[in-house]
Amino acid sequence: MPAEAMGAVVLGPQWPGAPGWLLLPLRSGDATAGELVERALDAAGLLGGAPLPAHLALVAGEWPLGVRELRALAERLGARGVRLTAVCSADPRSRVAAAAVGLQTCSPGPEGLAAGPEQSAPNPSHQALSLQCGTLRSGDHLEAEGSVLVLGDVNPGARVSAGGHVLVWGRLRGIAHAGCKGDALARIVALQLRPLQLRIAGAVARGPEDSPAAGMAEQASLVDGAIRLDPAPPVWPLNMSPDSPDRDGARSGGRRFGPNLPRPQAQP
Amino acid sequence: MTAQSSRYILICSGKGGVGKTTLTANLGIALARLGARTAVLDADFGLRNLDLLLGLENRIVYTAQEVLAGSCRLEQALVKHKQEPNLALLPAGNPRMLEWLKPEDMRQIAAMVGEQFDYVLIDAPAGIEGGFRNAMAAATEAIVVTTPEVSAVRDADRVIGLLNSEGVKPIQLVLNRVRPKMMASQEMLAVDDVTDILALPLLGLVVEDEQVIVSTNRGEPLTLGDGGSPAARAYTNVARRLCGEDVPLIDPSKERQGLRARIGRLMQTKIF
Repeated sequence: MPAEAMGAVVLGPQWPGAPGWLLLPLRSGDATAGELVERALDAAGLLGGAPLPAHLALVAGEWPLGVRELRALAERLGARGVRLTAVCSADPRSRVAAAAVGLQTCSPGPEGLAAGPEQSAPNPSHQALSLQCGTLRSGDHLEAEGSVLVLGDVNPGARVSAGGHVLVWGRLRGIAHAGCKGDALARIVALQLRPLQLRIAGAVARGPEDSPAAGMAEQASLVDGAIRLDPAPPVWPLNMSPDSPDRDGARSGGRRFGPNLPRPQAQP
Repeated sequence: MTAQSSRYILICSGKGGVGKTTLTANLGIALARLGARTAVLDADFGLRNLDLLLGLENRIVYTAQEVLAGSCRLEQALVKHKQEPNLALLPAGNPRMLEWLKPEDMRQIAAMVGEQFDYVLIDAPAGIEGGFRNAMAAATEAIVVTTPEVSAVRDADRVIGLLNSEGVKPIQLVLNRVRPKMMASQEMLAVDDVTDILALPLLGLVVEDEQVIVSTNRGEPLTLGDGGSPAARAYTNVARRLCGEDVPLIDPSKERQGLRARIGRLMQTKIF
């Protein structure tokens, strides 16, 4: 990490054509993100070194950035001929905001963007939980490194993808992708599971057509390469070890649902 | 500068053709008749037709464009309604205006209008691009119009997400073009289905009404008449609820199921 501890830092691209990085410091003091960026850009200009990169990815860390802030930031950068292309943030709301502004998003570190999806090993990081308060509406796309808990509904047209589990305290009616980095043990749990489409690791399934029994939380998990729906066990999934006996259909009666198979009946 | 009490209400839907402009015109008239000084602002610069619906097309001399450019005063551009002096229209400029209009311009013009009016209704264009974002910049609250169709509801949901992220609230819902018969026979999304997804307070239900088409072509909003048609009553109720009056909502799928209604429907059925 470069010397300047308190301000934002501009780093040149790692290879020609790649975006440069704009690193925000840890949150402290009362300067806004915009001011820090302005100062960093001034500094980069004054040093007279390499010209500013044409594309910048913002590494925002914990900074909460709304649509307005991001747009203002993009404008400031635009005024200097720099285009903001991506935002890496640890804060899921910032990522949703960034996606709404039309920027690429990735979770915390710059490694995510630099490495690309091929290189990341399927490393289950279920324990890292990020929280989304409020309903995800059509067009929103929430991405999380570890597991994600949505307090609210996921409406039709919205997407949630997580490296770990997807947990929805509400109705899941959009698209959910658990284990999007290849973790086949990830699962999707919702108070009402009525998705348009489910994905776990590499498997894809359409949601059931008929409506589920009321008041029954359900989970989807991957069994023998196909996605299956079961009533959700009354266990917080983040504490469950992968080889727990409750996994992989030890419970009787769960049914697979591929394209358009009927939904399992309520279990006794 | 701006009167604190003025309300800047965006009327939007995402999808086109669900009745944004019709609602704006009718709500404008209804609010004016309730005694509120009301301005309707056409933010649909590309395809303006709020002036048509209000029957004011031939009275437009200046537009918002000239006001922003400083070539006329706001008072010159505002077109007073023929029958309802409480209502004024600020017409949109020509479609080329889209290219240079900024959200700040919209904010500025809305603030100017707000100095003289209690309600500023902003008729947003369809879509979620520049024009919509401009319109949204000027608003402090919103009415989302949707019809009981999957596509309209989906688009409305997207728009609500954008309004939330811009901090526009409260957002209220008007369900337009409801066909009670189809709802009762479950051929159409029910009111509950829509409010379930959108999770917004319902400001009004407007039933499908042929009179709306007639009134649009005539340039006389329905609320201008004596409220004979069901849609006119619904629009007036929306206006009254907007003013804070407590008017009960009637679910059309549960209404008109008595014997008289059934006979009435039977008599409407064409035999030939």
